[in-house]
Formats: sequence, structure tokens, C-alpha cells
Amino acid sequence: MLLVISFLVYSGLELSPGDAVSHMISPELASTITAEQLDAMREAYGLNQSFLTRYWIWLTSMVQGDMGYSMAGGVAISEIMVKTVPATLELSMVALFFSTILGCSLGVISALKRGSGTDNSLTVAGMAGVSIPEFFFGLVAILLFAIELKWLPVGGRLLPHYETLWDRIPNIVLPSLVLALMMTAGAMRYARSSMLDVLAREFITTARSKGMPEWRVNILHGFRVALTPVVVLIGFRLPLLIGGSTIIEQVYQWPGIGSMFIRSVRASDYPLVMTISLMYVFVVLTASLIIDVLTALIDPRVRLGKE
Amino acid sequence: MEDKNNIALSVRDLKTFFYTNNRCNKAVNGVSFDVEKGKTLCIVGESGCGKSVTAATIMQLLPTLSRIEEGEIKFQKDDKIINIEKLEKNGKEMREIRGSDIAMIFQDPMTALNPVYTVGFQISENLKYHTNLSKKEIREKCISLLNDMGIPLPEKRVDEYPHSYSGGMRQRAMIAMAMACNPKILIADEPTTALDVTIQAQIFELMDKLKKENDTAIILITHDMGVVAELADNVAVMYMGNIVEAGTADDVLRRPTHPYTKALLESVPVLGRGKNQDINPIKGSTPDPYNRPIGCQFAPRCNWQTESCDVMPEITQINETHQVRCHKYEQFFEKYK
Repeated sequence: MLLVISFLVYSGLELSPGDAVSHMISPELASTITAEQLDAMREAYGLNQSFLTRYWIWLTSMVQGDMGYSMAGGVAISEIMVKTVPATLELSMVALFFSTILGCSLGVISALKRGSGTDNSLTVAGMAGVSIPEFFFGLVAILLFAIELKWLPVGGRLLPHYETLWDRIPNIVLPSLVLALMMTAGAMRYARSSMLDVLAREFITTARSKGMPEWRVNILHGFRVALTPVVVLIGFRLPLLIGGSTIIEQVYQWPGIGSMFIRSVRASDYPLVMTISLMYVFVVLTASLIIDVLTALIDPRVRLGKE
Repeated sequence: MEDKNNIALSVRDLKTFFYTNNRCNKAVNGVSFDVEKGKTLCIVGESGCGKSVTAATIMQLLPTLSRIEEGEIKFQKDDKIINIEKLEKNGKEMREIRGSDIAMIFQDPMTALNPVYTVGFQISENLKYHTNLSKKEIREKCISLLNDMGIPLPEKRVDEYPHSYSGGMRQRAMIAMAMACNPKILIADEPTTALDVTIQAQIFELMDKLKKENDTAIILITHDMGVVAELADNVAVMYMGNIVEAGTADDVLRRPTHPYTKALLESVPVLGRGKNQDINPIKGSTPDPYNRPIGCQFAPRCNWQTESCDVMPEITQINETHQVRCHKYEQFFEKYK
């Protein structure tokens, strides 16, 4: 899987016009530079070799754990990753946390109060959350909370004189909430329908016939069963979160992997683009593995037979 | 009539209506019956006649679109008489009765158990809410209950999930759950419709045993006349939300007086009479509940219909135990004398 995707991305980069060298040279110099000079530079970077050879070289070194150097800055990619990955991880995890908790609880409330004003307004909000793009929300949130109300900073992650974890929290609130919004809306809609589905099942009546209080019937018997499809959905939406983080990182100047990705694509910085996309693929695959494990934990029917 | 102390549950003039799309479906329209302690009352009738709704009403487990309109459900708890219909639907008092004094078994054991909890956990919930047993005692009780229900290796089975139980075992587990707190009344809503015949016989044997051992009154809802003949002490035949005939099993099965009861009995094939026996299905089909016939509900399908049937007949007491809702009952009852 990783192999196929890496090849596809590599081919995609090859097909796109221009290469790292043409991006390195500033437009003013472009007229004075000769074709020979350009070729020499290409040779220095190994770009004169055929597409397949280059892919092979990249692949073998990647397998050996050598991510190579960024063509644009000459910095080791591993170094760039160490700097950016934690930032993105921090952002997406916080967003994931918010969206799961909020999405599930709002969905359950919506299902339990079906047909009420609360349910209807949550439904409308959910539809809006799903359909309005994230960058728009991001900009509106900056305008409202950062510029008008001045509650939270506009962007950035680590400011020079903010060092403790506590100082950093205000910075993450806006981007993570905006990032979480879409997931929340999706999870909420899904939790609602899943919950409604479960509440109509017979074992809910059985639970009620045992004389248990409503909260226990709804949460222990209802929500627990309704949770399985919601977890699966959230798992499938993880790539969305990562994709979303690319945009949100731009909007909030978050020094994460997403903004790095955009920069590297612009510069046709092959090694960096490749590494980052591979990492994305890896995250998605790991996520689906985690989801499988989680479903087995939640739903005993999925567990493998152990006699 | 009978000794009042013998009666575990007494239902009088119960009306439960459903409201959908601004129309009112009178699912249970004035039903009265008594359930004696340690006896089985079978409620018989075809699909949609209000049997299950009656059961759900007693437990106050009605869907949101329906409500108890009128009538009384008197439940005798120790020396007190509780009017169930006056209790709040999911209130504390109702919850105290549910599961401990009145328990219920449902039609389909495949869907009535929660798939994500072990059978033991689901039985223990009942004990947790209605007894003061410790965790260890609850576990032991669960195991002994499963054992009583004839489930092999109960120590191991108690920690298994419903999906590793067979249909019959699930229904046994359901009964274990219902019997956990020694209820005074067990309501069984077609407990064997989803099971095959051999399992059905085992389940009924089990219920009969429990009835004798614990003096539990059973309300058995069924449409299977064979089951009625086998288990019932008393029978109530329902049609379109009314009880049309009620009495002891002998009264109703041997001396059916209402044309509907007769027709029901005639429509059941009898084992041993060969394949050429005459089976007389009831003509027509149940009327639309939103467009009921005036007067006697069965009149349009009845072979003896006359003008007098345009008025709803009253329940008439033929003798001490036998009652019927038909204008011409004398004519039918005559034959048995």
C-alpha cells in the first residue's frame, strides 16, 4: 500500500511542470542564466537521471531510514519532521478529542430529545457545520474571537516568552476548535441516527422492563451499542482531520506539517513532498488499525473466538 | 366472586389508545380481567387484537405515541393495592415494580438481549436494582438461576455474550433475568414464536415449573391454541381491543360460546385427524382499526350476524367463571347443556 502510493505521488510530481532547480532561481536571474548552467545544477542534484532511477534511489534510501535532504533549504528532512510533526499531532489530537466528546454527547442529546427544539437546532447547526468550509470558519473565528473580542491570539504556536504548557493553551484553542468543527458535526449527526436506531431496538425495552433508571437504559444500554458505528466513522474521518489541518495551519500560521507540505509542493521539493505524503499514508493506515482494535474492544461480537 | 386475596393483578375497563397522524387507534378498548396467584392466564387473539399492548400497558412500557386513557390496573403488592395506571411512567415507584414484582419476557430472544454485555451482567442488573445482595452473591445467584433454567456449565456461560447462545438458550437467559427477583407476575409476550417446536415445549415446561415452585402468576400472550390447551388455567380471547370471551380453560376451549372463539378453534388443524380434515378459516380479515364496524366488532365476519349486532353487546356472565360478549350467547351455550 505504502509502495503504490509512494509511486503514484512520485509520478504526479514528475508530471507537474518545472522542477526544484527552476524554482531555485529567482526570476531576475532566469534571463541571464544559460541552459548549460541549469543542466549542471540539475546534474548536481541528480535530476538528470531517468524518472525510474531516481525513484529507485529515493526508495532504497527511504527504506534504510534516510529521508534525504530538502532541496529547497538543504536541511535534513528528519530535522524538519522533528520540528513540525509534534505541532500537527498536538493540533489534530486536541481537535479529535474535542470533536469526539462534543459530537457524541450532542448527538445523544439530540436523539433523546428527538423532535424537540434542541434537536432541531442541533440538526441545523450540524448541517451548517458539515457544509461550510473550514477556512471560512477559521477566518470568521479569527475575526470574532481574536480581533473583535481579543480573547484569544490570532495564530502561531510557540511565542518566545510563552513557555509553560498553560501559556500555550490559548494558542491551540481556536485552531483546534475550528478543525474539530467539521468532525463534530459529522459525528453528531451520526451519533444521533445511530442512537435513534438503537433506542428503537428491543433490548432497550428489556432494559427498561428490569426497572432501571432512564439514564442507565440510555447510556449503558443505548449509547454503548450506538458507539460502535460512531467510532468507525470517526476513524474513517481521520484523514479529513489531517487534510483539514493543512488548511487550518495555513490560516493560523501553525508551524505544522501541513504548512510545510504546501511550501514543499510549491517548491517542487521532491524528497520533502514524498516523505510527508508517505507519513500521511502511514497515519491513515495506522488509524484504521487502531479503529479495528477499538471496535473489538467495544463490540464483543467482533472479537476473535477464543476458546 | 373469587377470594380477593387470591388475585395478584386486576385490570378493569382498561383503555389504551395510540395517536398517530391525528388519528386515534383504540388498541385496547375496555379490557377487564383478573390474574390469580400461581395461575396462568392466556390471552389469545389474532395479530393486532391488542394482546401485546395490554401487556405493555401493565408494565407501563408503552411507546411514546400511546397512553392509558381510562381504567384501572390494580396490583396487589404484599397487603397494599397499587394502582399502576396512576404511577409515573418511568418514575421510581413504577421502576420498583418493574423487574422485581412484575417481570416480562419478550417475543424474540435474538433481539431482546443486549449484544455488548455478558448474559451474567444482564441478569445481575436486575438483582442490583432490586436486592441488597453483594457482588459475589449476585454472581452466585446468576449462576444458580442459569442452572435452574437448564443451561449447561452455568459458571462458564454466565460470562459469555448473547451471540454465543442459541435461540432457546437466550430465551432461557431471558426467563432467568425475569425470574431473578421472584416476581409475583410474569408476563410472557409470545415467548416461543421465534423458537422451534421442541424448544418451545422445553420453555413452557420450564415456565410451568417456575409457576408451581414460586407461586408466580403468569400472563401468557399467544396465538397458539395448542399452547393454550396445554398451559392455561384461565383464558381470555381478545378481538379488536376487547375481550370477547373469558373463563377457565375448560370453559373457553370445551364450551366456546362466542362465534369468534368457535371460529378460532375451528381454524386450527388437529394432529391425528389426517390431512383431509376440514379447516375453516375465518372469512374476511380484521377490520381497519381506524374504520371499525359499529356495534359488535366481529359482526362483519360472523356467520350469525343479525341486526341486533349493530349495538355493541355487553359482557355477560354465563356462570361463575365464564363470560362472553355476544347477543346470542344463549343460543350457542344451549348446546352444552
